[in-house]
Parts: sequence; C-alpha cells; structure tokens
Amino acid sequence: MNIEIEEISKDFGTTAALHPVSLSIPSGTLVALLGPSGSGKTTLLRILGGLEFPNAGRVLFDGSDAKGLSVQERRAGFVFQSYALFRHMTVFDNIAYGLRARPRKTRPNAPEIARRVTKLLDLIKLPDIGARYPSQLSGGQRQRVALARALAIEPRMLLLDEPFGALDAKVRKELRQGLRDIHDTTGLTSIFVTHDQEEAMELADLVVVMSMGRIEQVGKPEDIRAHPKTEFVREFISA
Amino acid sequence: MTHTLMIPARPRPFRAATTEPPAVKLVLIILCLAVLTVLLFAPLIAVFEEALRRGWAFALASLSEPDAQSAVRLTLMVAAITVPLNAAFGIAAAWAITKFDWRGKAWVITLIDLPFSVSPVVAGLLFVLMFGANSALGAWLVANGFPIVFAVPGIVLATLFITFPFVARELIPVMLEQGRAEEEAALTLGASGWRTFLTVTLPNIRWALLYGVLLCNARAMGEFGAVAVVSGKIRGQTTTMPLMIEMFYNEYLSVAAFTMAGVLALLAFVTLTLKSALEWRYADQLAANHRH
Amino acid sequence: MIARPFFLRSPTPMPGWGLSFGIMVTMLSVIVLIPMAVLLWRGFVGFGAAGIWEVVNRPRVWSALELSFRAALVASLFNLVFGVILAWVLVRYRFPGKRLVDAAVDLPFALPTAVAGIALTAIYAPNGVFGSVIQQTFGLRVAYTELGIWIALIFVGLPFVVRTVQPVIEEIDRETEEASATLGASRLRTLTHVVLPMLAPAALTGFALALARSVGEYGSVIFIAGNLPNVTEIAPLLIVIRLEEFDYDGAVAIAIAMLAISFTLLLAINLIQIWSRRRMGAV
Repeated sequence: MNIEIEEISKDFGTTAALHPVSLSIPSGTLVALLGPSGSGKTTLLRILGGLEFPNAGRVLFDGSDAKGLSVQERRAGFVFQSYALFRHMTVFDNIAYGLRARPRKTRPNAPEIARRVTKLLDLIKLPDIGARYPSQLSGGQRQRVALARALAIEPRMLLLDEPFGALDAKVRKELRQGLRDIHDTTGLTSIFVTHDQEEAMELADLVVVMSMGRIEQVGKPEDIRAHPKTEFVREFISA
Repeated sequence: MTHTLMIPARPRPFRAATTEPPAVKLVLIILCLAVLTVLLFAPLIAVFEEALRRGWAFALASLSEPDAQSAVRLTLMVAAITVPLNAAFGIAAAWAITKFDWRGKAWVITLIDLPFSVSPVVAGLLFVLMFGANSALGAWLVANGFPIVFAVPGIVLATLFITFPFVARELIPVMLEQGRAEEEAALTLGASGWRTFLTVTLPNIRWALLYGVLLCNARAMGEFGAVAVVSGKIRGQTTTMPLMIEMFYNEYLSVAAFTMAGVLALLAFVTLTLKSALEWRYADQLAANHRH
Repeated sequence: MIARPFFLRSPTPMPGWGLSFGIMVTMLSVIVLIPMAVLLWRGFVGFGAAGIWEVVNRPRVWSALELSFRAALVASLFNLVFGVILAWVLVRYRFPGKRLVDAAVDLPFALPTAVAGIALTAIYAPNGVFGSVIQQTFGLRVAYTELGIWIALIFVGLPFVVRTVQPVIEEIDRETEEASATLGASRLRTLTHVVLPMLAPAALTGFALALARSVGEYGSVIFIAGNLPNVTEIAPLLIVIRLEEFDYDGAVAIAIAMLAISFTLLLAINLIQIWSRRRMGAV
C-alpha cells in the first residue's frame, strides 16, 4: 500500500509539532523517520496510525483519503515505544486480541485464531511463551510479542515507535535483523521512528531526516550520506 | 616499635546507624499499643461485651424485632442504590480526567473532594433546603406524592453526597499511573471504545475499583449525621441501622443498641479484612501507594 | 497563541469523551454543586452576610463554634504527633501482631460513627471501664465533658496522619540517615533535623484532613458529649436543633459560618504546605 502525506501539520496548544510536511512512500518500502527528540517524527507516525488528528493536510492510503477512517478501521499495525502489552492477558491473548475484536462476520473461529497465533509465535521465534504474562518476559521478548500482536490483524502497514529504544546493544542487533526479515517476508509498507542514525541507515530503504517539525531530507541511505542537503543533515548523519 | 593494643573500655554491640536504641523502640511500641488499646480496641470489645450482656439469645432476639429488621432492609437498600451510582460516577470521572487533556482538571478534582470537607449534618441540611416542604420544589413534590425529605429518596441523595468521592479518588491516581498506551494499542487493533474499556481498562483497575467500592459501601451503610437530618427518623420507615442504634440507645434499650452496633462492627471487620487483603496482594495497583 | 478554553479538549481518537464527561459533570452538579449553591444562595442572597453575622454573633452559637473548632484542633494536634510516631513504628519496627495493628488503624474509617459514639461513651462514662479509673485516679470526668469530645475526635481523626505519612517514611532513602550519622549527628538529631522535615508536608496534609473531618463530626460525638448548651454543645448539633425548631435560616447561617471557618483553615494549611514544599524542593 502506498502512502501519500500532503501538507500535514499539527499543533499541541502553542507548540507546532509539525509544520506542513509532505512525503511520498511507495508500497512495500521500509522507511525510517530519523531525527532528534522534538523533531515531530513520533507525531507524524501517530497521525498515520490515526492516534492523532492533524490540524491541516491529508493522508492518502492507495489514493483514498484516510480522513474518514477511524483508528480501528485503518488496519495500521502499531508497535508502541513501551510495547503497551495488555498486562493482564497472556502472550497468546495479547496476540489474539485484534482477531477477537473483529466484528462477528469477519472473526475467525477459535481453532483458526489459535492456528494463526501459533504461526506468529513461530515467526517471532518464541514458540513456547504463549501462556506467559508480559511481566515475565524480557524486553526483547516483549518487543517481539508487540510485533506479533500488530501483525495478527493482517495490517496494511506497520508503524513502529522507537522499537529498539529500551534494549541493550546485542538484543538490538538481533531484533533489527528480525524486523528486516519480517519486512522482507510480508512485503508490508513499514515505517519506524528512531533517533539512532546508524540504525536508520542500516535498516531502511528510505530515510526521512526530520528536525523541529520539518523534513530536512528524504532519500536512500547512501544518497543521504553522500549528498547531505542541509547543515543539520550533515551534522546529524556524521555524528 | 611497640604495638599498643587498643581495647575499648566497654564493648558496644553493633547497631545500624539508621535505628534507635532498643530501649527507645520498646517504649515507643508499648506507647503506641497502649494508646491504640485505649482508643481503638477497648471500644470494639465494649460493643460486643454490652451486646452480649444478657446472652446470645436476647441479643439475637432484639435483631428480629420488626423495627430492627426494617432498619437493616433500608440500610441495605440505600447501599445497593448508592454504591453502584457512585462507582459509575467514579469510573466516568476517572476516564474523563485521565484519558483526555483539558484545562480545569484541578478544579474538578477539588470539587469532587468537596464532600469530605463538609459536615454530615450540613450535607443533610443541603437536601432539606432543596427538597424540604418549605421550599417550592419540595412542596410540589410532596403534593404529587413524591416526597424526598423524610423519605427514602432523601436518604439516598444525602448518602450519595457523603460517599461521592470514594471511588473516584481511588481510580484517578491508578489510571494516571497506568497511562493511555494500552487503550491506544487496543484501538489500533480494531477494538471499539466499549470493548477497549471492558477488556483492557477494567481488568487493569479492578482491584482499585473494588477497594473504592468497599470504602464507599462501609460509609454508605454507616452514615449517621446526614441521614439523621434528612430522614425525619420515622420508625420503621426511614430509620437506617445507625439511626436505630441511636433510638435504642436513647430508650435505654442498651442490648438492642449494642447488638445492632455489633452487626455494623462486624461489617467493619469484613471491610477491613478485605481491604487489607487487597493492599497486601495488589499494592502496586492501588492509589494508597500513589498518593504522597 | 492558541488559548484553550476550559473543558474544551483538542479532539483525539480516544473514545468515550461525551459519555464520561457528561456523566461526571451531571452527577457533580446534581449531587454536589447545585445543593451547595442552594445553601450559599439561601444564606448570602436570602439574608446576606449581615444576617448571617447576626445569627452567629450570639453566645450559644459562638460557644458551639468555638467548641467544635477547639476540640478539632486539639484532637488533630494530638493525632499529628501520635500519628507520626505510630507511622514510624509501623514502618520501621517489627513486633508480633504488627500487621493486625496496621490494619486496625483504619478502623475509624470503616466503623460507623454512631457505633464509635456509643462504644466510647460506654467505656469513658463514670461507670465505664476507663471512665471510673480516670475519675478515681485523676478526679476527671471524661464522658459528658469536653474531654470526652476530644477523645471521640482523636478516634475519628487517627488514621489520617498515619496513612498520609506512612508512604513517605517507606520511601525515605536510608542513605540520608546514614549520611547524617557519618557527619556526627546523634540519632535524635538525625530524626529531628533530617527525617522530620521530610515528613512535614505529608503530616500537614494528614493534619488538615483530620481537622476537616473532626470539625464537622457528629455521630461519634453526640453520645459522649453531654450536649449542654454553651458547655458541650457542638456546632453540628446546634444546626440539628435549629432544624427541629424549623429555624432554617438559623441552621443555614451556622452551616455557612462553619464552612467559612473550615475553608479559611484549610486554605491556610494549603499555603503553609506550598511554602514548605517550595523550601525543600525536589531532593
């Protein structure tokens, strides 16, 4: 699914989180929104997911305006920075949640749900943890469960907010590769937010450098490295 | 070189720098226990002692008296109406306050806490003023056969006022601490508002909710001052258990008064036991640990 | 500058705004705001501040108000001191039955006021277990005197200071105490100069809560008080008496006077708290 962002802007009270920004994301790309804190990258991600309403501008999914789409209808798989796993449900119930929330007509029956959850647990390489609770998992495991939970709803796109933020270096490396693999397997348009330029450069097909609510530069990692357009990009990338 | 062996004059036992000497501790513990005995435990024991002064049979018989029975029924009914209403309010207020950003929250929270600063007698007075026969509204209601003051609805209103903040005060800090991310996650997974509330929020707040409901119930069943003013103390019709206690007491029916008091004291025990159980097991999910 | 008016929120996809805000505001208005407004209207618009003063400025009313506030103050001060000690003992010391005692502290919260009232009277009456002992040893009567009112209000306010101070004690960093000791301070000095200031804001909050509760207390007090006008008659009782005489204006005036004094007291305490918090800052 390709995504068109047209002149999206967002204020929070007196702070402008996003000056009008525009961006074109081809279907199937793995995109990094890269920038320091306060650059507006998370705000943009949340607008794509329907968790915030923009003040102006519009977002198009495969050509149609997303304005009328509620959060529930968007089918944007969202992985939160804190993972936001449902603390009172087992891993299995967490992953199955989106399937069970579907209206009766489109809801799979119980054996089918179990089958899909098992498949997802295999995909994230944690086949045996279905009965455990989030508090019993490590940070890296929680991240993978959050990913599986988002994938369970057969999303049209994957949105990840600082997915590797709270983890130590070794776990981060493993999970980076895992994300790449999942992207390549599913072919989903995936957008992740990060402040780590090494991570963005290594993982993404397309890097969007942001600062203070504006897009500084968009391009492939090699292109940005070779031809930084602004002072900010030059400094941020070389850091 | 001569070595001088330093031997302390008197060997001192090791004591951590952050405790008092054992003698002080002992004195303080005994002091506290003494005061609590005189103030808390003795009255409790007195209730049961006075109730059973003429034996079990006599005490139980006093409870089966028709006035006593109707008092029990009324108390239960008032609680059954008041507690769910205030629980619904508490949940709604906590949701509005913690899941959304808007100005004026501090004001609203202060207003919610207002009943705590008002004397129960004044609380009763409020509703007598609004709905009493001396007011226009009250006169109209009485004329149309729907009296509020000196009738059950008045008791319910006054009790609602008194117990108003209990559930909200328990839920707000807990829900603030838990944040909005889980609800947002549920929304992105396709859950409707109600499904999100029922399957994600409610399980997360169930112990805080239960705690608040417990306190609300204890106060609702035990309220005296407000109900005394608003009910008219009509025997057999608008006397709750606490009012009945006063009536028996004033009529020198000591055993009856203390037996009914004993029943309410048992209720207090149950409340405290459940409360403590909740605190010990679910400390991290209760407001008491979030308020400083 | 985008000014956000009160209560208007910037829309977010979080559901339930209308319903939750609606229920909250409706119930708050119907149960709390409108009744309070009716009282204040009746008082200030009905017969004005001058009228209120005229009712209040009589010996019997003054005695009642003085008594209620004095007794509440005395009881709350006792609870302040004892509450801090008890909180310390419960958090820092170990002794058999501690858990039971800790749970029992909440008894005044859970026990109906009328039950407490008759129970305390039974014990402290001249023929009661403690009442008789105190009379013989000290020649003091407890029940039916102001002393009895103090006891009842101490009972009522007991949990407030303890429960607000306990969490703070639990979170004290022991290293602060150790630092004080390494600098040569005696244990007593550490407690008074280092620990106590840390507890002060919470203790004050508890004190304010106990005070607010005690001033208006009715059920626990009227049995033990004796209720003699000008001597042991508390303000809430006077309101009840006025109501029984159908003197609504009198009742309203006294109620407003009580609210005004409570409000001022609590405001003063809040200001002291803000001041003390500003001095200590974030440690």
